[in-house]
Amino acid sequence: MRIAAGLILFAVTLPLIPATKETPPQGPPPKPFRLPATDDFTLPNGMKVTIVPYGVVPKVAIRAFVRAGAVDESPSQVWLSKLNAQMMKEGTTTRSAEQVARAAAEMGGQLEMDASWDFTSAGGVVLSDSGPQFVELLADVLQNALLPASEVSRLKADLGRDLAVEKTQPNSLARERFLQVVFPGHPYGRVFPSESQLKDYTVDDVKVFYGKNFKAARTHLYIAGKLDSGLRQAVQKAFSGWNKGDEPPELRAHPVSARSLQVIDRPGAAQSTLYMGLPVPDPTSADYIALDVMDALLGGSFASRITANIREQKGYTYSPFSQIGTRAHQAFWLQVADVTTAVTGPSLKEIFYEVDRLRKEAPPEQELKGIQNYLAGIFILKNTVSPDALIGQLHFVDSQGLERSYLSTYVQKVVAVTPQDIQRVTETYLVPSKMTIVVVGDTSKIADQLKPYQNATP
Amino acid sequence: MHSRRRVLSVMALVLFGGGAAVRATDPAGFTVPVTYYKLSNGLRVVLSPDTTAPTVVTALYYRIGFRVEPKDRTGFAHLFEHMMFQGSQNLGKMEFIRLVQENGGVLNGSTRFDFTNYFELLPSNKLETALWAEADRMKGLAITDANLKNQQGVVGNEVKVNVINQPYGGFPWLWMPQYANTNWYNAHNFYGDLKDIEAAKLAEVEAFFKTYYAPNNAALAIVGDFDPAQAKAMVEKYFGGIAASKLPPTPDLAEPRQEKEKNAMRKDALANRPALAFAYHMPPRNSPEYYAMGLLDQMLVHGDDSLLYQELVKKRGFTGDVSGGINADLGDMFDYSGPMLWTASLIHDAAAKPEQILAAVDSVMAGLESASPDQKLLDRSLTKIRSSLYDSMTQFGGFGRANLLACFALFDDDPAKINSVEAEFRKVTPQIIQRTAREYLRKTNRTVLIIEPGASGEAPKKEGQQ
Repeated sequence: MRIAAGLILFAVTLPLIPATKETPPQGPPPKPFRLPATDDFTLPNGMKVTIVPYGVVPKVAIRAFVRAGAVDESPSQVWLSKLNAQMMKEGTTTRSAEQVARAAAEMGGQLEMDASWDFTSAGGVVLSDSGPQFVELLADVLQNALLPASEVSRLKADLGRDLAVEKTQPNSLARERFLQVVFPGHPYGRVFPSESQLKDYTVDDVKVFYGKNFKAARTHLYIAGKLDSGLRQAVQKAFSGWNKGDEPPELRAHPVSARSLQVIDRPGAAQSTLYMGLPVPDPTSADYIALDVMDALLGGSFASRITANIREQKGYTYSPFSQIGTRAHQAFWLQVADVTTAVTGPSLKEIFYEVDRLRKEAPPEQELKGIQNYLAGIFILKNTVSPDALIGQLHFVDSQGLERSYLSTYVQKVVAVTPQDIQRVTETYLVPSKMTIVVVGDTSKIADQLKPYQNATP
Repeated sequence: MHSRRRVLSVMALVLFGGGAAVRATDPAGFTVPVTYYKLSNGLRVVLSPDTTAPTVVTALYYRIGFRVEPKDRTGFAHLFEHMMFQGSQNLGKMEFIRLVQENGGVLNGSTRFDFTNYFELLPSNKLETALWAEADRMKGLAITDANLKNQQGVVGNEVKVNVINQPYGGFPWLWMPQYANTNWYNAHNFYGDLKDIEAAKLAEVEAFFKTYYAPNNAALAIVGDFDPAQAKAMVEKYFGGIAASKLPPTPDLAEPRQEKEKNAMRKDALANRPALAFAYHMPPRNSPEYYAMGLLDQMLVHGDDSLLYQELVKKRGFTGDVSGGINADLGDMFDYSGPMLWTASLIHDAAAKPEQILAAVDSVMAGLESASPDQKLLDRSLTKIRSSLYDSMTQFGGFGRANLLACFALFDDDPAKINSVEAEFRKVTPQIIQRTAREYLRKTNRTVLIIEPGASGEAPKKEGQQ
């Protein structure tokens, strides 16, 4: 059974292939791709600003990332950052919530607020000729949020409903358990609040959170798109009066690398949801790019080994994927798949089979070359697929404390990775006996299938 | 735009996207370059260069959607889409996917009401590779029973992960059309019953291919950094020799005028909060009322300034989010051709009763029916439309633009419509909006779908019991 997927398929389809197969045309050499030059500056109050021209369509993405995320919550404040983000849409000292919403709509966008692990992002995508006005609106929201007590109970009820719905989704349950186990005692491991915790938050909790964290020195504003004149001046005018604030504290995580099998019962579930993985070196590591290439080859792309195996060969699942998840100065490798209940054990077996194979044998040159070409092409897409995608790339590099040259040298570093590097990083970092495995499914049907994975040596 | 250099080929009908007419409707001065022509076998080709990045989108749209599939084979159009990745004359299983990936690109296919599409987003120097590969599978499939069985498993898992194993899985996108529509073509289960998916035979896959996958039933859109003259030559080289087919007549898709409100309820054993959706049949595509509905859609449900958000979220606190639109969740107001619904939905607490929520909805609709909208509201809707059109043009590295161009080519034989559609919205008067609201947002044109938590036969849980 353990024959590479490609071989079996070749055998099956061989009789149907005409004797003279055409070779795909290769096309001319690639056009050079250069990242657009950024205009970077820092205001006297410490707020960082990056402005970058992009594209021809007259829209501009304007987004501020403020270091005010889950990392700034205490254990009793899970999702307070999310409540704060919603509260910040409820008007400023001079504009009602409806006025903010209408003003943004008249600029062809809306105010989008989102609190995540390390940051709250605030911004929107508007028509280019409204860019400077939107900067002014955003500055008002960030500096002068009203945080009206009258809206707290409604917004808490909304978050409570979101929480209840999340708890019914198998992926949310699996993700919560995986992060709890890998990041114990750290905000990265606190995915959901309890219902009662959420109910206890007061407007004063929000005001304290906002007052402490929404400060110039904790903020990086990115502007990307078709740029109208006046943006730089608008930024300087609107943000120069913002308080500097304190440097944010860093709360180091100590992630856990140990085999643990976590089963969450979901009686009658048609599928088992698998989350499995472990901490790996973060993006500042010299091995990170080799890990990135390894991930794309193993499970992180459509043609990857795990996908070819459990989807295209076995039909166990629809959308399996692996990824390297990152937080500030943390990273973890994760394989996810929703598999038919009856093949829960066999799916784990095949995933581990592919991990083990790559730990033992360097991949063929040609397979690696294909993945390197893929990542080189994807790199262009990641930077150009939309103005927000470009902002995402810049924010990733800046928030990880990398040099911007990480982006300009990325492709050459990807191409320099050797088959031996792939085997080495897989062997070093993807150690099965250190992986956390979470399975959300019907225990009565999968308990026996999971027995072999209880212990560190499957 | 850099596409001023256009080469007319013998079979080409070229439409220019630029020009004064467009400028008049576009204060920001942005127009999409559009070159449109047909090959002698009927393939519709749309070229739209853009040098933003050295990438290119190749999108092939076949005019066969999930509405029109064999009656005893629900979900077949979608299962078939999967088979298009399972092997053609020169590309074995996984080889199509590998080819795109190894050349630095991404690909996908999707099945919608009135088309099935396949697209690749690649570095610009790989346009010829993509054209060759798409032409290869348009020429014929080379698939086996084993491939079919494998994809039946994959699609079965797709339905499980998206519907069967998810709370609110088919809500409202999959379920609402089944209640609101009366014509089987619009009202069956598009994702398919698992037993129908499992029953499909290889011969049926081959027959479906022969019937619908022909150049005269397709549109090819190319968007990105390429030379139009070279692209034309490559399109002719790879697609020119593929024979046209005789297409079956389109079945009658018409929906009767709805005269009475419909109500449906489903139990959802995986959900723990009730949910509510309401849908109205749309005016015919391209009518003045259709464009008015486009503006009403913006007024009602897009953005925090929208009327339903203000009423249901902000004022009444029924929910944190009300979402919806025309062809919601499966596309937009342009990429279909046939009967369609405007739908909105929300998840709420058990303490809020559907009657209360619907009464609040009624109050919003009554406002639109009793008086024409003020100019400020109308202007804001026009700005939102323009902004969202620009978003479509850039969405996913030009794929959004390719989608509009291919659909306007397939459904309207006029991809340059991408530059004139905004003017159609500007023609809408407050009176047309009011007239449209009265006819199309009337209660008797509405279907309400309620989701109650709990297994079928079991009473829904009360909020207070938790």
